[in-house]
Amino acid sequence: MSIGLLTVLFFLSLIVFLIAGLPLVFVLGGISIVFLYFTWGIESFYMVASQVWGSMNSFTLIAIPLFVYMAMILEKSGVAQALYRMMHLWWGGVRGGLAIGTVAICTLFAAMVGISGAAVVTMGTIALPAMFEQKYDKRMAIGCISAGGGLGILIPPSVLMILYSLITGASVGKMFAAGVIPGLMLALMICAYIFIRCWLQPEMGPALPIDQRGTWADKIEALRAVLLPMLIVTMVLGSIMLGIATPTEAAASGVLGALISAAVHRKLTWELVRESALRTFVLTGMIMWILFAAHSFSAAYQGMGATSLIQGLAAHIPGGPWGAIIVMQLVLLLLGMVLDPVGIMMITLPVFLPIITAYGFDPIWFGILFIINMEIGYQTPPFGFNLFYLKAIVPPNITMGDIYHSVTPYTLVLLLGLILVMLFPGLATWLPSIVL
Amino acid sequence: MQALFVIMRAVSLLNERIGRLVSLLIIPIFAFLIFEIFVRYVSGSPLVWTGEATQLLFGIYAVLSGGYILLHREHVNVDLLFSRLSIRNRAIIDIFTSVLTFLFLGALVYFGSSLAYESIEFWERSQSAWNPPIWPAKLAIPVGAVLLLMQGIVKLIQDILTALDIEMPADLTLHDTAGGEK
Repeated sequence: MSIGLLTVLFFLSLIVFLIAGLPLVFVLGGISIVFLYFTWGIESFYMVASQVWGSMNSFTLIAIPLFVYMAMILEKSGVAQALYRMMHLWWGGVRGGLAIGTVAICTLFAAMVGISGAAVVTMGTIALPAMFEQKYDKRMAIGCISAGGGLGILIPPSVLMILYSLITGASVGKMFAAGVIPGLMLALMICAYIFIRCWLQPEMGPALPIDQRGTWADKIEALRAVLLPMLIVTMVLGSIMLGIATPTEAAASGVLGALISAAVHRKLTWELVRESALRTFVLTGMIMWILFAAHSFSAAYQGMGATSLIQGLAAHIPGGPWGAIIVMQLVLLLLGMVLDPVGIMMITLPVFLPIITAYGFDPIWFGILFIINMEIGYQTPPFGFNLFYLKAIVPPNITMGDIYHSVTPYTLVLLLGLILVMLFPGLATWLPSIVL
Repeated sequence: MQALFVIMRAVSLLNERIGRLVSLLIIPIFAFLIFEIFVRYVSGSPLVWTGEATQLLFGIYAVLSGGYILLHREHVNVDLLFSRLSIRNRAIIDIFTSVLTFLFLGALVYFGSSLAYESIEFWERSQSAWNPPIWPAKLAIPVGAVLLLMQGIVKLIQDILTALDIEMPADLTLHDTAGGEK
């Protein structure tokens, strides 16, 4: 069989089995078995097992369950309630202030945890009822939580960045540093959108009545809420950036910080420790099994010789290198609508990365574009994790249609951010070049 | 048929118990790493064993998760068209697509076993300063694959019985658990 036909079959079967609803891990694993058989024969299946052993031996990957565990504990630690009370007092008097405050808390959460769901779930249960009570527009209120939660994967630490580094060989520390400026920029852009929209249309997010805004004494007292989160951010990010600890060790100290926060808020119970451990196990195991299968998948893909074929095809994309970058972003946007980010990463990176390096682009910069794109994917229908998380916690009178509509303006803001980072690569590459 | 249901329940219960137990491994992983940071801070020199110990625990933790996750239908999939089908139609499609599942797991069980066997043959150790045995972690690969394979077979039987419209006890009946909505 010609390599062209083989490659077409490879991707066609991938798509068919994915649409047929087979879990990604079995699609990747099963297809690689079939194509490894055609390339190298049965003996090559030994590689499938040895690739699993290889993934079990990556010290960096241990950071994933720890960052997830930290997020699961923080979600129930009472930290968010305290933060929300503070934002309520400080920002409530501004039009759209509660939504802006919610995004600010999501940003702080993003600097503590490395996943998107934790902030969505916590802010959805705390901030959403409060915003509804103040007669905020429901789409404004729901959308800001989804958009804010998505920052979790862009502002370091980030589980997706760890996986990206593992696959591409980019340094985790550099990826983390590269996410800081684009992450803060997106947070500000989201807040600016809310501020302007509510300024023009006060009914979208009315300011709190004077008597609910609290006294200066209240406001100062409420500031205590940021102490613990700032401590955690310093422990986790500070130790990585200063090179004192590996990302894995920093994640462990993050877990310690989360446990301390839960204890301070009197929420630390064996129940919390155990239930968080079980949810962490499921999420980590899911990622790890996809990774086990994905290693074989990329080996099969490269073994067939498809890399050079696809690279050859990429040369025909109009617009040269930039045309290729834009096409890749479109492919990622489309995949983001139907597949989860870990899966997208495993399928596309073996294809995209050789093209990126061949054109001389910076893999760190491409990584940030990739992550922003996945952030959009988290909230674009029909398949977006943030949408499902929200559906599970909103009151019954909010339909899935409301949730789908709520993310539209925020998605446009994120797209604008993606374009800015494409046009000005320095936004992503400047900080890693001076810190590390 | 009753015997079959008993076996299906036993497999599911086994994966449930193992999953709940193994999920707690995150606690020693966390504790060892914190201990290492603490000791390094106090004494200025790193410990020889914590890195490898957490590594081995993590490997076992990750590879034994598959069966539990399949039991709870938490392996990610695309449910774009899938969620619109009836449970019976989904079961029929799943029967066909499961070929890939069994190809992958079959290869993993067979070649994972030979990997583990080579390691157990001479009670393989890591050859580092601490030199712990690493064969238990390699043995975990075929064990994890078998746990996942068994749960996959339970799922296949559930699919076949659903497709044939044969009644199953309530705890084994397939529910509307299209992925994503968690």
